[in-house]
Amino acid sequence: MSEWWTYTPADFLMFTPRVYVRLIERYNQDFWPLQLVFVAGMLAIMVLAVREVRFAKVALLPAFAVAWVFCAWQFLWLRYSTINWGATYATMAFSLQAGLLALLSLDPNHRIAVSRLRRYGGMALALFGLLVHPLLALLSTRSLAAAQTFGMMPDPTAISTLGTVLAIRGRRLLLLLPIPLLWCAFSGLILLAMEDRGAVVPLASIVVVAALLLVPGRSRNPPGNP
Amino acid sequence: MRFTRRSVLQGLALAASLPAMGRSPFAQPADALRKVIPSSHEEIPAIGLGTWITFNVGDDPVLKDECAAVIAAFFEGGGRLIDSSPMYGSSQPTIGYGLKNLGYPDRLFAAEKVWISDPASGPEQIEASRAYWGVEKFDLMQVHNLVSWEDHLPMLFEMKAKAQLRYVGITTSEGRRHREIESIMTSEPIDFVQLTYNILDREAEERILPLAQEKGIAVIINRPFRQGSLIRQLDDEPLPEWIAETGARSWAQFLLKFIVSHPAVTCAIPATTRVDHVRENLEAGGGVLPDETMRRRMVDYVEAL
Repeated sequence: MSEWWTYTPADFLMFTPRVYVRLIERYNQDFWPLQLVFVAGMLAIMVLAVREVRFAKVALLPAFAVAWVFCAWQFLWLRYSTINWGATYATMAFSLQAGLLALLSLDPNHRIAVSRLRRYGGMALALFGLLVHPLLALLSTRSLAAAQTFGMMPDPTAISTLGTVLAIRGRRLLLLLPIPLLWCAFSGLILLAMEDRGAVVPLASIVVVAALLLVPGRSRNPPGNP
Repeated sequence: MRFTRRSVLQGLALAASLPAMGRSPFAQPADALRKVIPSSHEEIPAIGLGTWITFNVGDDPVLKDECAAVIAAFFEGGGRLIDSSPMYGSSQPTIGYGLKNLGYPDRLFAAEKVWISDPASGPEQIEASRAYWGVEKFDLMQVHNLVSWEDHLPMLFEMKAKAQLRYVGITTSEGRRHREIESIMTSEPIDFVQLTYNILDREAEERILPLAQEKGIAVIINRPFRQGSLIRQLDDEPLPEWIAETGARSWAQFLLKFIVSHPAVTCAIPATTRVDHVRENLEAGGGVLPDETMRRRMVDYVEAL
């Protein structure tokens, strides 16, 4: 792209906020009440995984993979790409992320992060994406009909994934961070261009992840592991 | 929906006048300004219809119908030139939907763009665009933002020679790559150039617009309202009383009259999602055009705000 320095995020905004909001509303209507199934199902798996229930620990990453596939296929590919050709590339990235989640779920050596700050910070971020993010629609002067929920929409799915990955210990799990971080940056810029106050959420998520990454995943002297 | 003083006042004016007039106060001007395409001497109305952002509505049936109503009002108001691009998301199928609803008006002047870096894929992209519009062929095909123009232009000239299109052009926006635009205008037998020009972005006045006159190249003007931000900026400012002698009754008309009154400009392509706005825009092509003295006064007034 020539003279790239003359471009601003607004130059890449291809649609009006009204079109975007209506797209989400119609998408939510098409699948209601699947949103509740995604949120409740993921919440249950997370809680049980924290309680060391074996099935939940095994199901955690595959459940995220399902959410990423659903976002890629139903939202990005079938809907968002009709108004934003960039979503075609995002579909590929989301599919890759789903593949990575499925692949890394085969590794049985994941543990909950021992560092309290990283563990609770990651969990808080994951729960934010799951439970609080849908309510942000109200801040953006939208109704809950345009709520963005985990498994259905990319933002809460990416944020919950980031939080969960941070709360788990496992060096290879860091491979799961780049795509959701890139999505948060992309989504934040689009929302900024739309002058949507919700832009702060994906952008702040990047900052939170960066801060938590500075915290070691394991304590210097983890219990039972001298 | 964004409510501004302008939209509320216009809405009230519309509501008050509809029972008496049976239509918008921004009616079709009887003396709509037409400009000549230098390479053919064909005349087209000076106000066209852009589709960037406004017609990218996906498959939303409500919004598609709103866009179709805009297209219908555009033709009802005497408009002809509609401009789009493969870059504009779903704008092409939206145009096709609106044209199909109207039975493909004969007076449509279809202006499209080729926008692909792989030169070999140019013809395929043009064919896909044609299928979206549902037209037999395009009147004007432009190389969008000069993407691979060295390869696309010969292909377009060949299509023109085979009568598969009538005019060939190039585009840019927001003042980018003007040197290259000038070079192509000088070296290639193009019929049209499209660029950004408005009351605050007047760089084109220095070299490109005079060059277009010298070379006999028609000029299409995009971003006449800076994607709406100029209107929003001026909305709360008083429209000068002296502009009334041109027939302008709103800031949109003020800004459009400034653009199309430049002798090099062939057509401005404001984009809108609203029927009342498309009528208002078309009306700017009627009445009296500002002369050079008034154009300077318009610039001074806006720059002083």
